[in-house]
Amino acid sequence: MRSLFDLIIKHSYVILFVVLETLSLVLLFGFNDPQKKAFMTSASGVSGSVLEVSSAISGFFAYGKENSELAAENARLQAELFMLRDSIADSRLPSTDNSILTARVIDNSIRKDDNYITLNRGTMDGIRQGMGVYDSKGVVGVIMLAAKHYSIVLPVINGKSSISCKIKGDNSFGFLEWSGGDASVAELRDLPYYATINVGDTVVTSGYSDIFPEGIDVGVVSNVQQLTSGYTLKVNVQLAADLSNLGWVYINTAQTDVELKELLNQIKQ
Amino acid sequence: MGAISIFRKIGQIILLVALQVLIFNKINLFGYVTPLLYIWVTVKIENSYSRSAILLFSFFTGLAIDMFTGTPGVNAAAITLLAFLQPYILKLFVLYDRRELMIPGADTMKRGPFIGYVSLCAIVHHLFYFILKSIPVADWSMLMSKVVFSAALTVLLIVVIEISFVKNSNKKGRR
Repeated sequence: MRSLFDLIIKHSYVILFVVLETLSLVLLFGFNDPQKKAFMTSASGVSGSVLEVSSAISGFFAYGKENSELAAENARLQAELFMLRDSIADSRLPSTDNSILTARVIDNSIRKDDNYITLNRGTMDGIRQGMGVYDSKGVVGVIMLAAKHYSIVLPVINGKSSISCKIKGDNSFGFLEWSGGDASVAELRDLPYYATINVGDTVVTSGYSDIFPEGIDVGVVSNVQQLTSGYTLKVNVQLAADLSNLGWVYINTAQTDVELKELLNQIKQ
Repeated sequence: MGAISIFRKIGQIILLVALQVLIFNKINLFGYVTPLLYIWVTVKIENSYSRSAILLFSFFTGLAIDMFTGTPGVNAAAITLLAFLQPYILKLFVLYDRRELMIPGADTMKRGPFIGYVSLCAIVHHLFYFILKSIPVADWSMLMSKVVFSAALTVLLIVVIEISFVKNSNKKGRR
């Protein structure tokens, strides 16, 4: 009996190894609860605040460029505002309630298979899972996980991302997906083979779900290829948003139309 | 292992986690080669530490990196496995009668064996790391090239840092 105890004590590191390894694997495969996962990732308070400082330092050097871009966008929005004022004066358009939040990107990866972006806003600021994220140039991704003060975005350049898009002016729609490689090019899938798509066409969000409003820039068609196997086209899209260089982003917090939701529920029943 | 040695190790771990998260994780040569320099914690550990201590130091280093990179468990699992195997790997490259207090390094075990030791450590760690990261594995050849090239970069960085440090400490010794 004594020698058995001796043996166990002598090899206690093996038990420790098994315990630690199991713990790691539970962390890896066991987290299906988003709340717990948020605690373990860059959305948690501690690492979130460190990343925020790091991004503030690197962001300082980019302020000049960002400022000029913001000024340009300001000018564009001014023009749009005047145009819209005119059109409201002309007709009685119903006012849309598109509330938009801004957030700062504090962590970003673009060259992995599974890219994620961390934002410095969370549920306290009104961010919920499934909200659309875009910047002044185009669509960035969708909120995947929202913790109290931080949230994680599933960007368009993540293999799990799928966003409903359409060709501007043509209305044939497909899903924007990404299969690794170049971070500035994604694919538009499930477009019918008879759709007339040319290189240079603009791709915008379809607005079929409430994640994005209709008509936000996604990118420009850079290559069209007919798949031999199926009846669909494979379309490469040069993304409008520069995902390697994100500073501030907008988050679309507009809620689904209650009436539309009821309608969809009725169909499901 | 005295208290000073433990504090120095903890300081080293904090520095390595910061370097890994803020610098090395951003390096992505050819889109997939990332050096995982934080295995320094386990590779350069004094052989006076108990095996449980090696396991615990390594596990918490991996866990800290996981918290910053949004990959719960991956780094922790990989480096814990390395910590378990580290004493066996070291034995392969060090003569049996050299049991005195030492930190594996180019000065204590000669350059050749040290490079062999670091390479084997890096390959064990990177293999497990990339397999865990890409489960279910679809493309084995891609996976293996990730392992080989990332490990090569990690080894290169560790050896370069090691050799430049060893030279410095020798100069100090002569004075």
